[in-house]
Amino acid sequence: MIGDPWMLSEPRPGIGGFTARFESVGRKLPARRVTTAELMASTRHHTSIDLERLTGITERHVCSKGEDSLTLATDAARDCLARSRHPATDLEMVISASITRHDGDAIHRFEPPLSLTIKEAIGAPRAINFDISNACAGMLTGVFLLHDFIRRGVIRCGMVVSGEHITGLGTNAARSIRTILSPQLASLTLGYAGAAVIVERAESGQPGILRTGFTTLAAHSRLCVGLPATHEPGAKMFTRARKIHEVAMVDGPPLVQQILDDAGLRLDEIDWLIPHQTSVRAIRTGEKVLAERLGEHPKHVVVTVDEYGNTASTTLFLALHRYLTERRLARGDKVLLLSVASGLEVGVVVFVVDELEQTHDHAH
Amino acid sequence: MTTRIDAAATSVPRRRWFGRDGALHLSDAAARTCLTRGHHRSSELELVINVGMYKDHGLAEPALASMIQEDLGANLGHPPQAGTHGTFSFDVLNGGVGLITAAHLCDAFVGSGVAKLAMIVAGDADPSPRTTRHYPFSAAGGAVLLAHDDHGAGFQRFLFRTYPEDAGLFVASTRWDPHAGRVRRGRNVLELYEAPAFATRCSEEGRAVVSELLAQVGLPPSGIDLLVTSAYPRTFAQDIARGLGIASDRLPRLPAALARAHTAGPIASLEVAIQSGQFARAKHVVFVTAGAGLTIGAAYYRTDHRAAQLAA
Repeated sequence: MIGDPWMLSEPRPGIGGFTARFESVGRKLPARRVTTAELMASTRHHTSIDLERLTGITERHVCSKGEDSLTLATDAARDCLARSRHPATDLEMVISASITRHDGDAIHRFEPPLSLTIKEAIGAPRAINFDISNACAGMLTGVFLLHDFIRRGVIRCGMVVSGEHITGLGTNAARSIRTILSPQLASLTLGYAGAAVIVERAESGQPGILRTGFTTLAAHSRLCVGLPATHEPGAKMFTRARKIHEVAMVDGPPLVQQILDDAGLRLDEIDWLIPHQTSVRAIRTGEKVLAERLGEHPKHVVVTVDEYGNTASTTLFLALHRYLTERRLARGDKVLLLSVASGLEVGVVVFVVDELEQTHDHAH
Repeated sequence: MTTRIDAAATSVPRRRWFGRDGALHLSDAAARTCLTRGHHRSSELELVINVGMYKDHGLAEPALASMIQEDLGANLGHPPQAGTHGTFSFDVLNGGVGLITAAHLCDAFVGSGVAKLAMIVAGDADPSPRTTRHYPFSAAGGAVLLAHDDHGAGFQRFLFRTYPEDAGLFVASTRWDPHAGRVRRGRNVLELYEAPAFATRCSEEGRAVVSELLAQVGLPPSGIDLLVTSAYPRTFAQDIARGLGIASDRLPRLPAALARAHTAGPIASLEVAIQSGQFARAKHVVFVTAGAGLTIGAAYYRTDHRAAQLAA
């Protein structure tokens, strides 16, 4: 490509001397599960929507009393540290990326930042902490930031963490949905989860993260909006899902191509493509369109939305955690993480699996 | 390779017969003025970070920065063009310390040359006055343009400290109140609580962090030419200056409309300093901001020759 690349991406020649790598991935899934059939039985109006067939989602984990965004995030951070060789005191930066900021069942906290509470809970008091908000691309945005700080040698080790506590979104949607065209339909695909990832400076010779890139296709910034409900506890989310999908199909492939070009890779050299998990149908369509536009297929496309639902900012790392735990990823595999989120945010991270696979060797 | 400030601007609500200007409008207005003052086009922006906390209707998704990007017409990306750069936007939520946190992040990309031009936008307005309790901030927007500098002027060092034992001194959250609303059927209510000790603790720890920063860069308090601070708590700026023996004329004097600004507060201070020529005359600038947590964020900035160009 001649001229500037569209995506803000790294590494750039001559800038930053270090390589970053994923050191550990942790998660927290609430024990309770709700099937799609149970959820659809709770709608106020009689609908003929076959949500399971439409989305491929069979169930999702849901929180019980006493669990919230903060407990999910903190438990995921602890799981991540338990798999890591780093004590919490090694963390120099802690970034919280939760969209839902529940500290208590229906209490959405603005200030103080969640990252402050999390870093204190896990024992990283000296870490610089802040919260970011970038919809479902939040955790990957945090990785993008840590990658830059580590590459330039400002820090050696940091954590991105998120807990998504969806209370209210599903319940409020279930009250109003009548047809498949309801702008709140996407709220019924959501699931609860926490995830955390440690990014550190790689040792010499470790391939680590090959490429990161992000951009905002702001012409579509208002296609998905989440805000507190007016007459009910919790929040509501209004999504033009079909339009978002159309935009992602048209504008996504050239952006993926840019990052692959920058990394000197072809799509068929990617062993695992882990896309944002919205629905099985959307992922399969995306896979097909990407292959048509780029003329190649990744070796595997990861789908976990069927069992977890769309867990917002945590989906990519929940999927990564699962595939590491199931020992499907092997050392040397090339993985492409792809975020598509409200905004419209598109983020890509390409990395090579290394000792990361060993962090899931033993049960925790 | 550093990150320098190219321009700063603020906005306050317009006088209107009905309705009111929300956080998005205030942010957009400040951002447009800032671009004009900095002689930049929106298409030059590669990074936009919003640090405003209190958004219209309590918006949680998407990042407000993406809406600001759209309103500015900055590389809207439909379709992404080959051979030219796009813009990446997201929000940082760190209360009163948002500006310095975002400046630290921008410095990572702009200082290193990965991005050439970034903008930090801050805007806060009471999301819903009928259902908000104890909102202490004035409605204000702010924006700062940050550009790559090859000559070493700009941000030199950042320092952040947190004091979690004081986390309960300032808390803001939205919760369901079953008795709120005109007909008492319940509403989501934004409640802000500020303990009487909050302002004092901000000042105490703000002084300590500035002292630590000055020790790191080898500058005595008397060497500070300009002190840019949070506007809230109201006594913060004066307390820091008095406690460290910094002359009061090193503090920009804020207009009344911006005297209680939240995330845009330090931008208001910076804007006054730039407009009055104080920023151009200063060589050593210290930023210090305070927010819930309790969190203090500080930065040392050297203007050198660049400030003179800015003033010209």
